Amino acid sequence: MEKIMILNGSPRAVRSNSRRYAEIFSKKSKCKTEYFNILKTNHHNLCSKMAEFRDVLLVFPLYADGIPVTLLDFLKTLELNPPKSKPVVSVLINCGFLEHGQNDTAVCMIKLFCKKNGYRFGSVLKIGSGEAILDSPFKILVKGKIKKLASSICNSRYRALHTTMPIPAKVFVKAAEKYWVNYGAKNGVTKEEMRTMKIEE
Amino acid sequence: MKLILSDRPLKFKPENDSFLFIDLSALNIANCVGCFGCWTKTPGKCVIRDDAVKVYPAIAKSDTLLYISRIKYGGYDTVMKKMLERAIPVQQAFIRLVDGETHHVQRDVKPKNATIIAYGDISDEEKGLFEKLVARNALNMNFEKYNIIYSVESLLEDAVNKEVEKWKK
Repeated sequence: MEKIMILNGSPRAVRSNSRRYAEIFSKKSKCKTEYFNILKTNHHNLCSKMAEFRDVLLVFPLYADGIPVTLLDFLKTLELNPPKSKPVVSVLINCGFLEHGQNDTAVCMIKLFCKKNGYRFGSVLKIGSGEAILDSPFKILVKGKIKKLASSICNSRYRALHTTMPIPAKVFVKAAEKYWVNYGAKNGVTKEEMRTMKIEE
Repeated sequence: MKLILSDRPLKFKPENDSFLFIDLSALNIANCVGCFGCWTKTPGKCVIRDDAVKVYPAIAKSDTLLYISRIKYGGYDTVMKKMLERAIPVQQAFIRLVDGETHHVQRDVKPKNATIIAYGDISDEEKGLFEKLVARNALNMNFEKYNIIYSVESLLEDAVNKEVEKWKK
């Protein structure tokens, strides 16, 4: 049975939504998976370990319209230290915006890396509303798409997938406000405080 | 305010106080840890108190902006990208609609006329991707207008000087 290497490129790896997505992937995958957080200290280990896998799944959030520095720095190390055999690279990306298409530039960056460095690009799952969707009734949509992603990678029938909350943008704006107000309340911060226009004052 | 944010030292020096030059490579800036503290614990302030906290207020106050960055995989290379990720205290957690698309609400961030000087060995494909990226940035970073200039590394100083000369006119 082929193995899939899952690399979490989220800066908050241990507490990240990416970790939760990776856990769902592992449960849904019929191929064996091994999970690793990308840390500043383990780049070289991950690069050499990669040779043991036919497929790699990069799981990460959209950061400032692109790939997070955590992942960017790892890819730069990987470019200089390629594994003996190069796996197929797939992507599971999430952004906090409703539109899964806002992930497109980051996905293109991974495709560009693959092209420049001789890796085949495999499947992609782009998730919109990814900050909150796992704690909403729409979690089932994400689980379904992750199952399809896992199947596509396991069977080497690579494909492009996407999902988000199936709600109008205006409803999403209201739902996001509720989500963040509750988040702030846990820290004792009010909506009015969160709405401050001041920066470092 | 006019701001020049560079990912490397430059010979160029501002002639007066009319603009601020920041060499990011000389600063101590840690990676964003994605804690959302700047939205939900200390709104408008990053919980990591390193040099980034001096930079993002300057970004917010600037109306004319020049970013100078090496390009990697069609995006900003590490030094600039790290700072852009640390600049999210200038936004709120809350979402607004811009032309029907969801984006974060900005705090007190001036609309900007931005120029990006992208340098390095940049392929046409990378240029195309970088242009898509900056178009996205424009929506999320309050760029009213923007212009991208490509330069090879050896001619970077000239490209910067040429752009700053335009500011004087």
